[in-house]
Amino acid sequence: MCESKNIYLPNLATIETIVDETPDVRTLRLVFQDEAVRENFNFRAGQFAEYSSFGFGESTFCIASAPTRKGYIECCFRSVGRVTESLRRLEVGDTVGVRGPYGNSFPIEEFYGKSLVFIAGGIALPPLRTVIWNCLDLRDKFKDITIVYGARSEADLVYKHELKEWQERGDVRLVKCVDPGGAGPDFDGKVGFVPTVLEEAAPSAENTIALVCGPPIMIKFTLPVLERLGFSDDNIYTTLENRMKCGVGKCGRCNVGNVYVCKDGPVFTAREVKAMSQEF
Amino acid sequence: MQIITEQNLRNLIDLLVKEAKLVVGPKLSGSVVLYEPLTAGTELTLDALPRRSSKELFFPVCEDILSYKREGGAMKVTDVDRSKFPETVLFGAPPCDAGSPSILDAVMSWDYKDEFYLERRKKSTIVGIACTKGDDACFCRAVGLAPDTENGSDLFLTPLKDGSYACNAVTEKGQALVAAHKNLFAEGAGAEPVPFVDQAVQKLDLVKIKKWLEEHFEDPLWERIADICVGCGACAFICPACHCFDINDEGSTDDGVRRKHWDACGFAKFTNHASGHNPRDVQNKRYRNRIMHKFKYYDDKFGKTLCTGCGRCIRACPVGIDIAEILETINGKAE
Ligand SMILES: Cc1cc2nc3c(=O)[nH]c(=O)nc-3n(C[C@H](O)[C@H](O)[C@H](O)COP(=O)(O)OP(=O)(O)OC[C@H]3O[C@@H](n4cnc5c(N)ncnc54)[C@H](O)[C@@H]3O)c2cc1C
Ligand code: SF4
Ligand code: SF4
Ligand code: FES
Repeated sequence: MCESKNIYLPNLATIETIVDETPDVRTLRLVFQDEAVRENFNFRAGQFAEYSSFGFGESTFCIASAPTRKGYIECCFRSVGRVTESLRRLEVGDTVGVRGPYGNSFPIEEFYGKSLVFIAGGIALPPLRTVIWNCLDLRDKFKDITIVYGARSEADLVYKHELKEWQERGDVRLVKCVDPGGAGPDFDGKVGFVPTVLEEAAPSAENTIALVCGPPIMIKFTLPVLERLGFSDDNIYTTLENRMKCGVGKCGRCNVGNVYVCKDGPVFTAREVKAMSQEF
Repeated sequence: MQIITEQNLRNLIDLLVKEAKLVVGPKLSGSVVLYEPLTAGTELTLDALPRRSSKELFFPVCEDILSYKREGGAMKVTDVDRSKFPETVLFGAPPCDAGSPSILDAVMSWDYKDEFYLERRKKSTIVGIACTKGDDACFCRAVGLAPDTENGSDLFLTPLKDGSYACNAVTEKGQALVAAHKNLFAEGAGAEPVPFVDQAVQKLDLVKIKKWLEEHFEDPLWERIADICVGCGACAFICPACHCFDINDEGSTDDGVRRKHWDACGFAKFTNHASGHNPRDVQNKRYRNRIMHKFKYYDDKFGKTLCTGCGRCIRACPVGIDIAEILETINGKAE
């Protein structure tokens, strides 16, 4: 057998638990089958992986669990097509493939001593959830932590039990919202679009880092709000989700101009994003 | 100078075939010349540029990257045994083909290493040949190559007027090939070389072009030249330098293979997000990416141009999009 390493070979992992976050968003908790991999798999918040469903292929999702929680990883995905729908058909105990971790990460150590504002929309909470838990697990390293999270409707809010947990903690300010028309009679959050709700919540920009993930349209309207609140482009972080295949800088799919999102990203500052050819 | 007669060149192929090497060279296949495995030296056809590039010797159209099988209850994934890739000799590649691996090495080996490509590359020897058969789509001179560029070849042949070839062993691999078959080569002065065909496109200033591209991501030029592109992908599939690929499974959920296969940035779905959002939502943005990738991004990243000027995409395009003409236009606009 050959000695050379096959960069496309996945590690095998078993589905340990399944949580349905919304009617079409599901979280899988995965445990690597190989003991050495289980013990040595390290990643940083913000990195992604290629998850495979055998017979259907691979899909790119962020690693949604926190690097501070060992022994398993989680992914959270919306069923939208071939691979994601096949992943959804799998059951507890079934096997998936995982290649990664890939890409850069949030420079969490640089955020020590600062306040953090997390802003997420819809299915884009998972890439921030990994950072949120990472930071909550190191709570005393940060000042104020604010989370602004919105979805189209109450049913579309993901990680509902964790939202509750964050809401009940005294050391986090959670502002959750749904689009107009999306709230049920008992909804205890705000009604409005994420950028508007953020502007009302008006977190201070003083010594603060903003982390924004959401659909392109939400990002587009959120950046000017952050600017008005006094955030500089260097203190705003976001992730790009250009379509990927290899995840390792070979297949030529993920580029935005000369930036390979799979290698140079997916985490970028607003300044970096603004300097790119506008192709995302 | 080392000289090899045409007969001895064909004998060399016969010997290499006997040594159980995979020998690939231009061969008449039906009515077109293609790079194909040669079973005898007589099959080598050096009078036309093969319709498809020699890239697929290193980077096949489609290749298995792993297989999977459920055994009992457990899934088992098996790597491909790359040690079984054959020792290969590529014969008769003109500079525009012989030069493509040295361009692709950069992307295949930076950071993560694509051992499928690299293993094939390691096991191959390239016998290049000076090109005397150019046509009006050729523009290798414009992108910094020439019909007699030796760079990229391990052994380089120059056709001489008396039918023999002058040989230059460019690399150690080339020297080894000559040393192992010394009796087929002779020292000599050699006849005069066969002249090259003139090329219509003049030398382009690639630095100037790149600067223009940097400043004109948005430009009316893109719509004007590329809105007629039908996104068939022919230009990418026929190109010795394009390297985009897709990864897919073939088989059932219990038993099958995962494959890597060529893809093209000209396809509408190439960058389509699951949400329906598509960063390159119209054809001219996709074509712009093709030009940008070849003449700017690849150079930014790896210091090389992702085009050898072989002209294949010009010959293949169903709507007559001419990359050389586009480059000339940009060259004319650039300051
Ligand atoms: C860095 C990164 C992180 C990501 N993180 C997450 C995450 O945490 N969670 C998450 O849910 N997603 C995430 N994504 C997005 C995710 O990768 C995609 O949603 C997923 O790969 C879709 O795969 P699929 O095979 O199910 O969809 P596909 O089958 O590829 O389909 C995608 C879409 O294209 C359409 N489509 C496909 N083929 C055709 C066709 N022939 N004709 C017309 N329409 C077609 C489908 O209808 C569908 O809407 C991330 C992406 C990146 C790049
Ligand atoms: S872009 Fe066209 S001319 Fe250049 S190498 Fe590719 S096929 Fe040949
Ligand atoms: S060959 Fe021509 S029509 Fe087809 S994708 Fe290339 S430029 Fe477009
Ligand atoms: S995903 Fe293949 S190059 Fe980035």
